Amino acid sequence: MTALPVTGEITRDWAWGGATGAGVDVAVIDSGIDASHRFVGHVESAVALTYDSSLEDQVRKVEGPHGDLFGHGTACAGIIRIAAPDCRLHSIRVLGERLTGKGVVFAAGLEWAIEHGFQVVNMSLSTGKEDYFSVFHELADEAYFKGVMLVCAVNNVAGASYPSEYASVFSVAAHDAKDPFGFDYNPSPPAEFGAPGIDVEIAWSAGSTIVTTGNSFAAPHIAGLIARILSKHPGLTPFQMKTVLHAIADNARGRDGG
Amino acid sequence: MDEQPPQRAVLTELAAVLDNLGPALDPVGSEGLLRSITATAREIFGAAACSLALLSPDQSELVFTTASGEGADSVLNLRIPSNQGIAGYVVMSEQPIVVSDLRQDPRFATDVADSTGYVPQAILAVPVSSPRRLLGVIEVLDRDTTRPAADQDMRLLSVFADQAGLAIENSRAFSELGRATLRAVADAAPGTSLADALAEAEAEADDVDERLLALAGLFAELKQAGEREHELALSIVSQVLRYTRGRARRRT
Repeated sequence: MTALPVTGEITRDWAWGGATGAGVDVAVIDSGIDASHRFVGHVESAVALTYDSSLEDQVRKVEGPHGDLFGHGTACAGIIRIAAPDCRLHSIRVLGERLTGKGVVFAAGLEWAIEHGFQVVNMSLSTGKEDYFSVFHELADEAYFKGVMLVCAVNNVAGASYPSEYASVFSVAAHDAKDPFGFDYNPSPPAEFGAPGIDVEIAWSAGSTIVTTGNSFAAPHIAGLIARILSKHPGLTPFQMKTVLHAIADNARGRDGG
Repeated sequence: MDEQPPQRAVLTELAAVLDNLGPALDPVGSEGLLRSITATAREIFGAAACSLALLSPDQSELVFTTASGEGADSVLNLRIPSNQGIAGYVVMSEQPIVVSDLRQDPRFATDVADSTGYVPQAILAVPVSSPRRLLGVIEVLDRDTTRPAADQDMRLLSVFADQAGLAIENSRAFSELGRATLRAVADAAPGTSLADALAEAEAEADDVDERLLALAGLFAELKQAGEREHELALSIVSQVLRYTRGRARRRT
């Protein structure tokens, strides 16, 4: 079991000094990842999930390299690489084919990530349909008990948003700071962390980049930082990880090494 | 001339009343309200245009139903696949997005802009939904970002999106309720022309809430039962409603 330094201070240097995310598996549940984009680099594994009502679980799963149907998953992968250049990226494609069955496919994607033991899962997507409240809650609990860190973009819409509003996930909103290693802890969740996501240049489809704003692009910053910390402190649980992030946040003490 | 059976006469009268009352009871024409929402949003954001696209019943397309500003005339009724472009991304991910330099996005260039004749530089797009379903997307093109508090625009447009969502859901609930009422009347008087017409209309409609219709059918059946059964049903339904109202409050 990994122990936190209860006698000393938790600093950024303690948390990730010299770390690169090496050996940590990070899944991106999104529209696929374009591995040829210069912001991304190698993609370790890929699976494409689509809705198929003729199958018992309604989801067809095709393993093997795939492209990005929007550019969005590539954007997230590129951002994760900033903090965790050496992590192993896994693409779980659930978006882009069609809307029908989206919730079922999304849930199956999360289940796939948990079953395959990926330690960090980035979800820059959500569903507001009440029918999926308990499905995602169960999956979020399962992930938590297995030590899988679920990083979710909150959406700014007033209605419900699953799984980003559950207490066990790392929910992230965009703030206007630019430092890719900087982030805030929000003492009034449900958006628990703030990370860069306003007017940021990101990877997009067909090898391009665009300047954009969205919580979607803040979440992968936190996912990358978590992978970075995990590579130095394997075995941290989600609650220990939150403690570390809380201690080294921009708006907390301890971030500069004491 | 044969006299109409009294039951059918009542139904004919009822149908006429519903016909006259229908438009008056429709929650202030949601279309007008939606137009007002896009016009107001455009004004507040100092934007070139604001438009609303709703998902088709099979969710394969987004249809621009309301638009205000530049290119509004050509964007109205435009249909685009729901899995493409910025609007497609927003309904897929249910996440709002701002793209500041659209011309750099190779997918968008061939998307809506070309077909409307207005090529925007920037877009702010937010999903429109209700707790029951995802409805579509609202977009603001080329807003004035030098306005005070322009950094809160995503949150602000989300408020407009919620308003639009409520208006749409309200209007749909109304027409579903209307259908359910007619169903109940028709079930209570089988073999009438109203019942036949309704059966025909239902066969053609594709977005009827089946469960609501089933419920209406059960109520019609309940009419045959006794007073105690009526009381029991009333108490059960009231409790269900109390429970769901409490649940809705906790969620908001």
